[in-house]
Amino acid sequence: MPAIIRMENLTKKFGNFVAVDHLNLEVEEGEILGLLGPNGAGKTTTILMLATVIRPTEGTAYVRDYDVRKNPDKVRELLGIAFQEPKMLWVSTPWDIVNWHAKVCGLSTSERKQRVKEVLEALDMWDYRRRNVHALSGGMRKRVELAKVLIQRPKIAIVDEPTAQIDIVGKHKIWRMLKELCEQGTTMILATNELYEADVLSDRVAIMHKGKLLVCDTPKKLKDSIVGGDVVEIQFEADPSPKIVEKLKQFKEVVKVVKSKSSMLRLYLNKVEEVVPKIMGVLMKDGASVSSIRMSEPSLDDVFAHYTGLTLEEAQKEGG
Amino acid sequence: MRKIVYILEHDFRNFFRYKWWLVGLISMNLADLFIMAIVYNYMLNPEITQQIKSYFNFFAPGLAVTGLFASAFMIGREVNMEKRREVHQYMLSLPMGRIEFAIGRVLSGGMRGMVYMSPLLATCFVFVGFPTLPQLGVIILVLFLLAMGISGLSIAMAVSTSSLDKFVTARGLVYYLLFFCSSVFYPFSLIEQLGQEGKFPMFLVTFARVNPLSNASDIIRAFLLGTPSFSVDMVICVLVFSLIFTLFAAFAYIRLIERG
Repeated sequence: MPAIIRMENLTKKFGNFVAVDHLNLEVEEGEILGLLGPNGAGKTTTILMLATVIRPTEGTAYVRDYDVRKNPDKVRELLGIAFQEPKMLWVSTPWDIVNWHAKVCGLSTSERKQRVKEVLEALDMWDYRRRNVHALSGGMRKRVELAKVLIQRPKIAIVDEPTAQIDIVGKHKIWRMLKELCEQGTTMILATNELYEADVLSDRVAIMHKGKLLVCDTPKKLKDSIVGGDVVEIQFEADPSPKIVEKLKQFKEVVKVVKSKSSMLRLYLNKVEEVVPKIMGVLMKDGASVSSIRMSEPSLDDVFAHYTGLTLEEAQKEGG
Repeated sequence: MRKIVYILEHDFRNFFRYKWWLVGLISMNLADLFIMAIVYNYMLNPEITQQIKSYFNFFAPGLAVTGLFASAFMIGREVNMEKRREVHQYMLSLPMGRIEFAIGRVLSGGMRGMVYMSPLLATCFVFVGFPTLPQLGVIILVLFLLAMGISGLSIAMAVSTSSLDKFVTARGLVYYLLFFCSSVFYPFSLIEQLGQEGKFPMFLVTFARVNPLSNASDIIRAFLLGTPSFSVDMVICVLVFSLIFTLFAAFAYIRLIERG
């Protein structure tokens, strides 16, 4: 797929503080790119530059070959954004906000009426459409913010922490709606600090820390990039023989074998899904009595820790 | 053009959300006229009374202008609030040109001022007298230009000040300077006389002469009361003010907000 967004040395400085530092990143048409990082990583600043709300200090970005510096009006025609903090005056109502947004984005009167109703109903906001924003909960305001993008169906949607403050049932519903939006042809940048959200929604994940891009790849490849990141714990009925331990060590995917408790081996390896059947074969052939096997893959948190030396939580605290 | 209309719709909807506040303000303005102006009429030095005949009639056009000023300035308060709550990021991300956006904001501020001022102007006409149709045209044009200038000034201030406190302080300074160094409350001839007698600083006399509030009030008085006499310079003065601040607002809006 060709790149629909190209960031070239994109940089933003606020005084001496470098919020985004020479970011080089491409977003392919039709994909969901997860922009993952703790607070202060530079995700929102990157989004604001792409949306032409703030100007880059250095470098630039191209949205469908339109330079955000030189053709901001053309760029804005292609984008729709759901901001991290709902951007609305508190005296407004959800219906007014979404209806006006749809009007500005060029929806016809009949299309608008139908879509406003559909989207507000889908987000469980129809009954609250006439309430002032100040009377809505944080989660409800977030839904109204998201409704703007869902009604607009832009060529490129940017959603910044779309499910923050939303309950778990609501989260799943919104994830489904975002996926449907992409199935209709929208390319999406999903900025989030929720690892699970990035994992389930993203085709590729770009990890940012302190304004820099650390790595960008599919969630699977990122997890596989951690040598020995997968863990298999085998509980034997009796202590495993040294011969079995030796055979397990000989698999090229196995990085380390540790005897953790009595009659339990912990294996640090790669490509767990491919190796486990082979391990099972060896154990059965040698007649080892296994009472249980537990497997775990690295999470994106592990990936983040691998590249930064910090957990996301620690980085969050560090970033304030 | 359509995008400008959307901005007008947005801002007018917000304006009418404060309808009870507006009703309160209009009531206060009318109380100024029907209580304060009538009482002042009996407090004035006979020399002044000779010049202006009735303080009620003198003040009614000035009140319409101050009402216009206060209401057109409201757009700045909203723009400042948008900036503090970062709603401006949303507005700036919308599929419309920056110039369309800035013009829409300035225009809506000005038009809202005109809407607010109309009952005050109508009251002035009913109690002081009606202008001829061409005179009415000139009055509307001048007031509209003034409203645009005020709207531009308030937007420029709103985007240049980082906090509400700073905006309110700056607004207060501008309010008091433009209100009290003008012929809204007292005739310019008196200000000039005080200046010549050394009782009032001359630079403030000059300021009062070019103050668009003075000129707009005096244009209405010229048509309704016959004094002071109308001159094209008065219109030019308001036009220059309007042009400077409309352009300044557009420039400030585009540049300062984009700084992030």
